[in-house]
Amino acid sequence: MSGKYQSVKSTIKTAAKALTIGGLTLACTSVATAADKTLTIYTYDSFAADWGPAPGIEKAFEETCECDVQFIAADSSIGALRRVQLEGASTKADIVLGLDTNIAEAARATGLFGTHNADTAALTLPTGEWSDDVFLPFDYSYFAFVYNKEKVPAPPTSFEALNALPDDFKIVIQDPRSSTPGLGLLLWIQEAYGDEANDVWKALQPKIVTVTKGWSDAYGLFLKDEADMVLSYTTSPAYHEIAEEDTRFASAAFDEGHYLQIEVAAIVESSKNKALAEEFMQFMLSDTVQDIIPTTNWVYPATTTKQGLPEGFKTLHLPEKTLLKDGVEVEKQRSEWIDQWVETLGQ
Amino acid sequence: MFPGLITASALLLLAAVLFSQLTFHPSATTLSVGSRIISILGWTTLQATLSTVLSVVLGTLLAWSLSHYGSFPGRSWYIALLSSALVLPTLVIVLGIVTVLGRSGWLNDVLSYIGVAKHDTFIFGLPGILIAHCYFNASYAARIMFDRFEAIPTEQAKLARSLGLNAWQRFKMIEWPAIAGTISKAATTIFMLCFTSFSIVLVLGGSPKYNTLEVSIYEAIKLDFDFGRALGLAFTQLLVCGALVLFANRAKHRDRLISATRATHTDQGLLRAWQLFSIIVFGILFLLPIAAVITDGLKANWVQIFTDKNFQQALVTSVLIAAISTVLVYASSTLLSISYATLTAEQRYGHGKLSRWLRQLISFSSTLYLAVPALVLGLGFFILAQRIGGSYTTWAVVALLTSNVLMVLPFAVGMLAPAMTKSANRYDKLSRSMGLRGWSRWRFLESHLLKSELIYIACLAFCMSLGDLGIIALFGNQDFITLPWLLYQKMGSYRTDEAAGIALVILMITLLVFLLPMLLRRQEPTHAAP
Repeated sequence: MSGKYQSVKSTIKTAAKALTIGGLTLACTSVATAADKTLTIYTYDSFAADWGPAPGIEKAFEETCECDVQFIAADSSIGALRRVQLEGASTKADIVLGLDTNIAEAARATGLFGTHNADTAALTLPTGEWSDDVFLPFDYSYFAFVYNKEKVPAPPTSFEALNALPDDFKIVIQDPRSSTPGLGLLLWIQEAYGDEANDVWKALQPKIVTVTKGWSDAYGLFLKDEADMVLSYTTSPAYHEIAEEDTRFASAAFDEGHYLQIEVAAIVESSKNKALAEEFMQFMLSDTVQDIIPTTNWVYPATTTKQGLPEGFKTLHLPEKTLLKDGVEVEKQRSEWIDQWVETLGQ
Repeated sequence: MFPGLITASALLLLAAVLFSQLTFHPSATTLSVGSRIISILGWTTLQATLSTVLSVVLGTLLAWSLSHYGSFPGRSWYIALLSSALVLPTLVIVLGIVTVLGRSGWLNDVLSYIGVAKHDTFIFGLPGILIAHCYFNASYAARIMFDRFEAIPTEQAKLARSLGLNAWQRFKMIEWPAIAGTISKAATTIFMLCFTSFSIVLVLGGSPKYNTLEVSIYEAIKLDFDFGRALGLAFTQLLVCGALVLFANRAKHRDRLISATRATHTDQGLLRAWQLFSIIVFGILFLLPIAAVITDGLKANWVQIFTDKNFQQALVTSVLIAAISTVLVYASSTLLSISYATLTAEQRYGHGKLSRWLRQLISFSSTLYLAVPALVLGLGFFILAQRIGGSYTTWAVVALLTSNVLMVLPFAVGMLAPAMTKSANRYDKLSRSMGLRGWSRWRFLESHLLKSELIYIACLAFCMSLGDLGIIALFGNQDFITLPWLLYQKMGSYRTDEAAGIALVILMITLLVFLLPMLLRRQEPTHAAP
């Protein structure tokens, strides 16, 4: 059997060689940075992507701060939070950016985040003044069902109207257990209908063509015309209009009002660059950043800038009534509501 | 023998280390399985069983047809395409299936063109899950079964003919004994693939009632950050799959010779027409989703995609990672298979309880990772990385390579180990008398004899590693982007056209890699076994 060792040895040698070469090549591709301080920000993938807000924000901030800004992308905002939780006090993150108010309480409960110390006077959120000293809002949008105007000439105007439509009118939604819009819809119906929320879901069930894991799967199916409407944001049509010059898409205005998603950022308590992080938090509310956000993240900025909203945003449907549940209440009852939802849709 | 056993032990140790990482974390409180475990388990088993039965029956039928129909133009291409089913990027193909069978799909276009009423949406829910599972797994089963059918020696076919056996008798008396062992193995693998199915169930599942265990684990970790429940569910999954592996390994494997010459036993008449029909229908069904991905992808702006430096970087990284993974798969699966053969072949160490036990260890360790949830694997690595320290890029590379190898290993060993055993049984005496040992034996004997298996494993390792998102999402980093990760990002930010383009690139590389051996082999004569 000794002969077999030889063949094995040579196989291992080849493998080791290839691994070394590969490792070296990979090491070379990672860029070394020479700036004095590095500000590390954990966020979700599309925020950090080349076409997202991160590159513009990074460039603008680096011009003034004499530091290096590093955006680290997780697969979702919850993913970014989980990563900090996993790393605990030894995390490299100075800031976590992109959580929403529905998950913020869970984040607060970890005790990993400190105060932002930013001046919030500039904020012009639909909910009025902002009092949270840990989580700082930087943009927002409303959950809404998006449809194609050519294919749906008379969109429903409420959940009741939607439920009254024949069952071959199909919608695609996301799972509240894995997606923030999915959770948003659950809270939306809960806030609008309270104890009757379950009945709304029961009536809605035959129209749900599928429940997807994330926003992108659902939106992809909608664009393939597998459903008449998709759960997304009131600001989604702006992407099609501005980036694709396609004006066929709109969001359906619901009488019950629309649930708000406010995206927030927070400083990690264990950060060694607190002063720099605080500077960045304030910078997030500057006109520079707030003007970058609409056409890169496709949501509303959190302040009213001098330049104002881009053209495509002005024609969007702006909900008259805003719904938002208190984060503490959400955290308390979330799993109960989700269990109920699973039971209702599982029938 | 020992390097393989060490590898097997290392694999089991690695699983234990990664799992235990989750228990060390403060987020793991009490081990639980949640309140819906019975219904989740019931549903997961039901869909996996249905998918497996359908896939195996369809796959065997196709393999039988292909083998008996004999040559037709493009036969080898057809078979090469079938091989690629296992590695085609799942999400990409699922969207292709939607393009074909969806509400606004091609089928409905055709139906309305010929004036028949359009079909309702049926691909979400159980039918969709079964269709997608069959797409991937029936092709996989067919490819494996085809090899078994082809390995039946010509002499037996001739004998059957001279005895005047009909197709059914032939199947029962000659072919079934030759494929039974493989069927049970393939069925086990397919069952596990469907049991742990993730992306397909998430996209086509339709409603939360169709949640698999794997999806529940995702939910426990992602939204509830409940490691105790995640571990409880992961252990449940491991337990079911582990029991299955052990059970399947108990099934006696028939030992058949590798055929030197292709058995040409073509049928006539109705039987032959039926075979051709199966081949054509299956071929069309297989090609349609691929064609859909191509049509969707061609609409993308190619100049923009190829000049994007992120794309270029992702392409280079992905190809490199895939290449290294291939080498690692080669090394580990060879080690495991050599040991397996040594512990199986009667003339070596094939007797005794200990051998059987060690053989089980090898099978078990190489198959185990089919049952380990990717998220648990990734998290284990992540926590380990943190405890040990070092750059995330390095850890991301290590974790990605490891997960790639573990992902391919069940298939690689599943193919190589029995082949090695057969080669041992047939050629041990001859090689000993010729003094062929070790490397030279490998070079002159196995590398020729097992050529098609080795090529298949290389293609498998490369493509699976290339198309899998794996666990990179956990280690997110600006400087380390792979193609699937880029695809995922584009899909998550309205860029459906670019995403379709990147999906097409991944698909094309996958197909090219699988068809390349075909292109090359055409120019050299087939090697007859020595």
